[in-house]
Amino acid sequence: MSADKIDFDIVGKSVRRRDAFEKVTGEAVFSTDVKLPGMLYAKVLRSPYPHAKIKKIDISKAEQLPGVKAVAYYGNTPRIKFNTSATMTFTVPHLEPVLDQYVFDDIVRYVGDEVAAVAAVSEEIAQQALKLIEVEYEELPAVYDPLEAMKEEAPHIHTGCKEGKNIPGDIVKIDMGDVEQGFAESDLVIEEMFKVPVQKQVQMETQAAVAQVSREGDITVWSTTQTPHPTRMILSRAFGVPHSKIRVLNPPYVGGGFGVRIGCSAKAEPIAVALAMLAKRPVKVVYTREEDFIASDTRHGGYVWAKLGVKKDGTFHALDLKGVLNAGAYCSFSCETPGVLGAMTLSVYRIPHQKYFGHSVYTNTTPAGAMRGFGNPQGIFALESVVDMVAEKLNIDPLELRLKNIMQVGDPWCLPYPCGATGMAECIEKGAKSIGWDRRGKLNKPGATKVRGIGVAIGSHVSNSWPFCVDYDNAYVTIQQDGSVQVACGVPDIGTGTTTTLPQLAAEELGVRFDMVNMTFGDTASTPFDIGSHASRTLYAAGTAVVAAAKDAKQQVLEYAADLLDVSAEKLDMKDSEVFVAQGSDEKRISLKEIAYHAHLRNKQFIGVGRIVPPNSPTWEAHFAEVEVDLQTGQVKVIKLVGAHDVGKAINPAICEGQIEGGLAMGLGYALSEEIRYNDKGKQQNKSISTYFLPTAEDMPEVEAILVESNDPSGPFGAKGVGETGLVPTAPAIANAVYNATGIRFTEIPLTEERVFFALRNNKKS
Amino acid sequence: MSLKMLKFTLNGEPMEVPVSPSDMLVDVLRDKLELTGTKKGCGEGECGACTVIMNGKAVASCLVPALKAMGAEVETVEGVAKEKAHPVQEAFMDLGAVQCGFCIPGMIMSSKALLDENPKPSKEEIREAISGNICRCTGYVKIEKAVEAAAQKLQERG
Ligand code: FES
Ligand code: FES
Repeated sequence: MSADKIDFDIVGKSVRRRDAFEKVTGEAVFSTDVKLPGMLYAKVLRSPYPHAKIKKIDISKAEQLPGVKAVAYYGNTPRIKFNTSATMTFTVPHLEPVLDQYVFDDIVRYVGDEVAAVAAVSEEIAQQALKLIEVEYEELPAVYDPLEAMKEEAPHIHTGCKEGKNIPGDIVKIDMGDVEQGFAESDLVIEEMFKVPVQKQVQMETQAAVAQVSREGDITVWSTTQTPHPTRMILSRAFGVPHSKIRVLNPPYVGGGFGVRIGCSAKAEPIAVALAMLAKRPVKVVYTREEDFIASDTRHGGYVWAKLGVKKDGTFHALDLKGVLNAGAYCSFSCETPGVLGAMTLSVYRIPHQKYFGHSVYTNTTPAGAMRGFGNPQGIFALESVVDMVAEKLNIDPLELRLKNIMQVGDPWCLPYPCGATGMAECIEKGAKSIGWDRRGKLNKPGATKVRGIGVAIGSHVSNSWPFCVDYDNAYVTIQQDGSVQVACGVPDIGTGTTTTLPQLAAEELGVRFDMVNMTFGDTASTPFDIGSHASRTLYAAGTAVVAAAKDAKQQVLEYAADLLDVSAEKLDMKDSEVFVAQGSDEKRISLKEIAYHAHLRNKQFIGVGRIVPPNSPTWEAHFAEVEVDLQTGQVKVIKLVGAHDVGKAINPAICEGQIEGGLAMGLGYALSEEIRYNDKGKQQNKSISTYFLPTAEDMPEVEAILVESNDPSGPFGAKGVGETGLVPTAPAIANAVYNATGIRFTEIPLTEERVFFALRNNKKS
Repeated sequence: MSLKMLKFTLNGEPMEVPVSPSDMLVDVLRDKLELTGTKKGCGEGECGACTVIMNGKAVASCLVPALKAMGAEVETVEGVAKEKAHPVQEAFMDLGAVQCGFCIPGMIMSSKALLDENPKPSKEEIREAISGNICRCTGYVKIEKAVEAAAQKLQERG
């Protein structure tokens, strides 16, 4: 099939992005830009308490304020439980989705939880009206740490947790071989506990939605969602309205995703719909940056334990892994994230005996959900730190130790799909060269106050979400009457270049000129169902559907042309939008334009349909960091970061590099500075861009993204996922470099100046 | 609240718009004048998405009370491309510096303000000029390269 083709016309080329012109001129429209006639503006009243019962709420004064058109709260909105995340629409059948949210409830479970919302003719009036809502709270005991929240004395945050106190959904257990025996047979066993922080996506466009409800009850929602079709399913359930009466679309651009809106954009869509129903006018909800920080899903913080048993020669023999993640106040993706943490972390190396036990725990903090990497960065920080400890104990070069143990094609692992291709060794070799690995250990002069170090860490990831979630794709490829091509696919373009790369795939498969292909996307009304843009899956999975649809359309074209040219269809092919005789010396040819119009005049259009269930495939990545640590202040400065990535096949190399570079920056933040902390009243301490410390241009080291192509047998033209992979092993690569520089092993990130300073001081004392 | 007439030059043309003393420039541009190319990522002067050029300097329009623009020359992203795209815009497109695009108008304005004033910026000067513009997608790598390339182009043109 397509993967064995080597001479490509458009695949593999860094063509200019289709959305670039609109975006550099400011013409590109985002949800926050949408304005409809008669549109109202919403503001949300949020809980000041981490856990409380609303004893009384009086909205009458707010309703009477001139300009206020609706006030929504638990008393006038549906009492139907749902989950703002798409997990409720694609939890795999043997598990039950956790439905633990209402649009508004009479219990609030974290600081920032929704109490009520107002729609008014201006934001200012809506804001004033919030102050007129009278609420009487009865405070309830609160808990913030997942280990504390499992204890007997901890408050119940939700009832009905069947696996244990405050544990949502099912505990994930993975078992291969016999770890106890494995450790008994090992020559060295290293065990460590790691603590990982709460990171925030900080996508540049905050959560937003505009809802319009017609007199017939048809609902249209423009939003920042990464998954228009599943979001429609969620709204359908939350409001008891059939799917067919709801349209969810991006307008068409989304200012970043990184997992924060797989499903609803926090509660922007349900709140907009609830208010639009009450006010009978369109309503716009735009989260402030602070609301986005405190009231939309974060990455899971928590604890990971890793115990690795190895043979004297460095062969890995047994791995016991455990993860306890902080779910926050609502479940969101807290059932799937521990699963990905376990499965991905176990599957980097060939280890005969392995075991994983992992789950999340509810606490009274901002809900944690999906964020780029989805559990994997947490697990890999633990594993790759332990692997570094093993290398040192056994006095084996960390690269050699990794190369010896990495997963190979056909190796057994816990995943239900094969390791089809791996370019990991090449990633390690190329990355090592770029960072100058042979300089390692020779970087510092005795007595230096700033010391350098070099570190490595590796990892893998998924190319779509199966087997962790239901996962399938549909696409149409329709030949227009003039021979141009329309691709329709329900994925959005959240910045990852989907609207460029999927047309590249279609053009290549069909043999038509790239400039003849256009794409409809991110709209439930004009595209067939698609799970959406998450799990690094858009190019790999939706792309497979587009290729299948293109193949189908092409076959129809060739069969039709066969009659016109009087040559059998098997002998024909298409290139540059022209059908020609590929076998034999026949010179006959005919343009797609002529064929399409000929068919049109005879009452026919070529419509290709792609309906696929994508397999899955591992990505591979090796990250390298060179750091400089100031021994007096504790400041860690990253000098260079290298990400060498097996992307299968780079359909658009510049876009692939862009994904990796952005991932490395986010991984740098995860390693060094980004964290949301809480005070003892459950209040988020980092809720603005200036207090959250994410990398700016001036914080960036020299960055190199290296593409390795292993030509995956399952992906479109050999491609696999890349979107999330850029930050999977970044933090341990940096922490390992800091160890190389200072001899201090950090088991907790971020490596802030303060944390490193105190560690250096304690180290000196001991 | 009493409205006042704000008179200023917007993208080279005279403009008059009634504003209230509490209005910020970003909201006047986006809501009243429907120039939504200028983005709002924080409203607190911390992300740079709302950057416009006022009297030759890049400013965060969410921190500028609209009436402060009285008599000023204001340039927004909508005014940058003339017949053709500006070299900075060309470079962003050619070098793959655009991803989600939400930070891009602000980035374009900060970069243009830099190049208008300093046609031969060093790497450090480029970084400094865009250090107030947060981009969460690109790691700034291709953005910096694009600004360098644009500077090069502009110099060649003379
Ligand atoms: S919106 Fe003005 S700096 Fe963020
Ligand atoms: S391109 Fe998305 S924030 Fe910069």
